[in-house]
Amino acid sequence: MNHDQAERLLSARIDGERLAARATAALDQHLETCAECRAFERGAYRLREAVRFEVAPAVPDLVDEVMTAVGAQTERPRSRLRVVRPQRSPRRSILPRLAPVAAALVVGALIGSLVVGGPWQRPEAGSAFAATDVVEGISAAAARLDAYRASFAIDERHLSPDVPERHLAMRVWFEAPERFRLDVVDHTDYPTTTTPTDLKLVVDGSTSYASGPSPCPTATCPQRESVVRNRLPFSTAAAAPTDLVLPISTLADADRLTVLGRGTVLGRPAVRVEVPFERAEPLFPFLSIGGDWRPFFPNDRVRIWLDERNWFPLRWNVYPATGAERDAWALRFGLPDEPSLRSVFSVRALDVSLDTPDASVFDIPVTASAQDQGAREVDLSDVRRETGFEPIAPGTVGGLDRYRAVLPRDDSGETLVAYADGLEFLNLGETRSWNGDAPFGPVGVQAEEVPLTGGGVAYYEPASQDHGRRIAIHAAGTDLYLESNLPRSRLLAAAAALPVQGLPMPAAWTFRRVGAATAERVSLETARASVPFPIELPSDLPAGFGLASVELVDAGYGAGVTLYLRDEDADAGIGTIRLHLEAASELPPATSADQSSVDIGVLPGRFTPDRSQLEWIDGGLYRSLDAPGLALDELLAIAISIGADEPDG
Amino acid sequence: MNDPDPRTLTRAREGDLGAFEDLVRQYQGDVWRFAYHFTRDRSLADDVTQEAFLRAFRFLRGFRGDSKFTSWLFRIARNCAMDQIKARNVYVERVTPIAATTADPQARVELHAALDAVSAEHREPFLLVEVFGLSYQETADVLGVRVGTIKSRMHRARRAMMDALEVEEEAR
Repeated sequence: MNHDQAERLLSARIDGERLAARATAALDQHLETCAECRAFERGAYRLREAVRFEVAPAVPDLVDEVMTAVGAQTERPRSRLRVVRPQRSPRRSILPRLAPVAAALVVGALIGSLVVGGPWQRPEAGSAFAATDVVEGISAAAARLDAYRASFAIDERHLSPDVPERHLAMRVWFEAPERFRLDVVDHTDYPTTTTPTDLKLVVDGSTSYASGPSPCPTATCPQRESVVRNRLPFSTAAAAPTDLVLPISTLADADRLTVLGRGTVLGRPAVRVEVPFERAEPLFPFLSIGGDWRPFFPNDRVRIWLDERNWFPLRWNVYPATGAERDAWALRFGLPDEPSLRSVFSVRALDVSLDTPDASVFDIPVTASAQDQGAREVDLSDVRRETGFEPIAPGTVGGLDRYRAVLPRDDSGETLVAYADGLEFLNLGETRSWNGDAPFGPVGVQAEEVPLTGGGVAYYEPASQDHGRRIAIHAAGTDLYLESNLPRSRLLAAAAALPVQGLPMPAAWTFRRVGAATAERVSLETARASVPFPIELPSDLPAGFGLASVELVDAGYGAGVTLYLRDEDADAGIGTIRLHLEAASELPPATSADQSSVDIGVLPGRFTPDRSQLEWIDGGLYRSLDAPGLALDELLAIAISIGADEPDG
Repeated sequence: MNDPDPRTLTRAREGDLGAFEDLVRQYQGDVWRFAYHFTRDRSLADDVTQEAFLRAFRFLRGFRGDSKFTSWLFRIARNCAMDQIKARNVYVERVTPIAATTADPQARVELHAALDAVSAEHREPFLLVEVFGLSYQETADVLGVRVGTIKSRMHRARRAMMDALEVEEEAR
């Protein structure tokens, strides 16, 4: 019996499969003399232990949703089979808030009601606008906006072969700080009985409501309603998609938008900018509310006309990206050939007004059940009685006014005070009894350490899919976090103005176990002093990226170092770039069937596409570089630049 | 994993919504966990679960009982999960890469890295047998392959995962 046969039998026996008596005898005999196979058996049981004791995710109760869908199916038998449109993305409730990069500038006042109409023109040659003007202009306008309403027309191509075009109407209402409504009415003339994509989303402070057809395999899909009560202030899980009003998330980062030119849209002077679809998702919040929509490719180009005077988005179109990757993607979705110069999706403003909407616009329909986020509204004067401490809650933070205070969860001993001005918000959370092993709030142990003016340090994370920009402050006797759509510089200033002195992370937070390995957060200097190889940084990083944190890693066979490089504004698109170094003379064994060899400059390396990871050996040093949102050529550029011109000397 | 009470199954096949609801209640947890292992995405697991039960309801009359009900249900759930994964492949991997936390060598020791290290062809039977406790025959029914194939895939899955998990110990 050879190893392979023995392992195969062992594997079956471990799984409780019955072996023939002769096979059992032969196997046991082999095991007596073969240490390697005994190791396999021990390993298999260890593996079982690891798999079975992995923390099981909480399972949701879906009985009601399933039975509603089943009921709808039995009441309305399908008239025919239809091509089921795939989901485009994990459906987050609503897209996150992100925010612009630079300090506010004063722009022209927003005056009165404007009505737009008439033909639009091609952009003029040349442009007086730089990308930073756009970002700063939007940022400044955000704080000034108190009320807004508008109506739009939406045209979509290629939902399915029998629905080549769709026409929908959208209306949007906003009233600062936290009232928002979005209606979509589907005017498409479908060839067969089809549930129209009629959507409604209402946010009114502590309550929100969403309704739309749930995705289902038939043409007639049941309507799904969801209500959130005791909503957290500016909840990102049940967010108001205010980018439709001002694209402060989509156009937060001047490094990632292109100004195409100026022109006149519907009689208004306007500037046109372009961003890839993956960054423009907040301008398409209806996709995630419900119903059936065409899919979009991350690199499809979104061209947005912005009103030059007030930065409202007036018109935006999606143009297909080019290239083999997109073609293959389109094939999988059953899309027809889509020329790159022809818009496949457009949203056009028909009229925009700054009038305050009627209060009844934000009425939330009565429904039987609601999800409870558990945020209980309290008077600041009562907080001490409820929690035993007086929270830090100045009248204004970062130039925003105090808006409401909640106890986020009963008995958690936490407070949350929200601040707002126009479309800008800031949440200030606090606890006096934090005993977690990472900073309080949605801030991880790999967050960037930032000095605060006036002394002390804080830990900063850029905006992500699920959160705004945030800061954690660990101080004597208290732990705080701030989450906001303010630009980084303003958020840091707001944190610095709080009457606390931030301390460095305690040792218990900086040390963690990762399986059999340990990782310890250290300064770059400490890391350099601790490992026998030089730590060189890449000089060619995407714009806005810098070193966020460093970890010393020990897997039991010598020290390694992991560098975390992040965008200072937003994680959307690229994510965290990680560079890991350790002494080694050869690459670890291949772990994926998709891996391929690449040349990294003059050195041989390995590329793993599903992890966007490059690995190579350079003079006895193993390097691994990965970033979820980067393609091979972008990773190669970073890899080649390592040590070429070190940014920090 | 136990099969349902045959009477419940019979009533559900005859269109009794109450009986079908009992089945949903009994198996939604297993189907959801299975979908979650496949997709590693909560909202997608919700969708897969919902769609799996919708399809199960639609095709229940055609269930002839030549495999266990749970194997049949898992096969449907698997198909739904595959449809979802195919549909969102390129897009989602760019937006929320599943392997985002497993790429550096320190994380090779992590279980998920090990799971990522084996191909779907090997991961699927491994999860069905190890996590859901299915027999080789049931797993073969779910995946539509022969029992012998499950046997060798289980062996290879274990070998590959152990290699991925222990690569440091052995390589150095």
